[in-house]
Amino acid sequence: MNLAATPLSWNACCSALRLDRWMLGELGPEDGESVGTHVAGCAACSAAVAGIRGVREEVRAQPLPVRLAPPPLRRRAPLAAAGLGLGLALAAGLFLMLRSEPAWRTKGAGLSLTMFVQHGGEVRRAGPGETVAPGDAVRFAVSTPSPAFVAVLSVDPAGRASVYFPEGPRATQVPGGAEVPLPLGTRLDATTGEERLVGLFCSSPVELEPVRLALQQAPDAARLPTDCQGLRWSFVKR
Amino acid sequence: MILDAAAIAGLYRSHGHVVLRRARTLLGSEADAREALQDVFAALVRNPDAVRSAGSIVGWLYQATTHHCLNQLRKARTGARVLELHVRTAVNETGGPRGEAAAEVRRLLALLPDDVAAAVVYHHLDGMTHAEVAELLGCSRRQVGYLLERAQGLWDRAEQSA
Repeated sequence: MNLAATPLSWNACCSALRLDRWMLGELGPEDGESVGTHVAGCAACSAAVAGIRGVREEVRAQPLPVRLAPPPLRRRAPLAAAGLGLGLALAAGLFLMLRSEPAWRTKGAGLSLTMFVQHGGEVRRAGPGETVAPGDAVRFAVSTPSPAFVAVLSVDPAGRASVYFPEGPRATQVPGGAEVPLPLGTRLDATTGEERLVGLFCSSPVELEPVRLALQQAPDAARLPTDCQGLRWSFVKR
Repeated sequence: MILDAAAIAGLYRSHGHVVLRRARTLLGSEADAREALQDVFAALVRNPDAVRSAGSIVGWLYQATTHHCLNQLRKARTGARVLELHVRTAVNETGGPRGEAAAEVRRLLALLPDDVAAAVVYHHLDGMTHAEVAELLGCSRRQVGYLLERAQGLWDRAEQSA
């Protein structure tokens, strides 16, 4: 058997390596343009490129293998309710300009969620033992080592789940960095009782409505999307 | 470039097809090709410096896939020897004469020394020029010519003795 004519031999003029490099932007501008011009006029190379594209879409459509997923977060136990006095009702949106240092946070895999609270004219950290009153305003900041698609959801004392951030239907990309403030704040309403929050850090702009519904049905046992990591809190507002 | 878990997950989505397509050709089995795809990227999770020191991500993926698949073909050959003809029938998979010829190419690849087999894969199965093969093997173009000549000789002898 001639090695150049086996059933597995390559048939296009450009090598597979050259086409892969071209499609993934590894060639210089002139070289890339030259390959592009050639492929446009060559049936064999066009067919090879179409084949490569087909496999590319196939891989992209598959979920990320479990063994390649980022390590799971260590969940922190819910914070003690008594004395926190903080609760959220997400009915009203409010933009806040806060300049205090961030405080209350949970961490895991380099991710954290930090809460600020504004009472009257004073802005402070939200922390154990403090009282948070209806009408207080809160805002969050997140830390993530690399850009991530972020959302913050809440389950109020009546069991209603809602999306605190963002306003749109999908998680929104936030740049990597320490304590990057989310651009949306909210004002607490008069509802009292325990309130739970979930901060989502995802590798894609996941749809939030299925997550909201899952949280509403099982606030403590809801399964998060496979490419997301979650940080959970709970508080009591009084 | 910092290759943390998130970056490698992104690389899997953007470059995974480079591995899967070639693994399908080299192994002739969908299940084995998908396992190869995961194994190559799992190796990257364990040792992200490997790709950082390479000049090109695509080039590194070609090298890692080739190495992995040739090892798998050799393991399959060892298994076939142990199980003798029972496996020979199974290896000759599907696809009529063309499928049998493809299986024969894989069987012969498993017989060749590492560098010779890699040169054959790059030049004949990936259509690379001698310069491209030389880049991936880290040798001269003249050495590539020598490896390919040697490959054809070994190939002819293996066919005659089969």
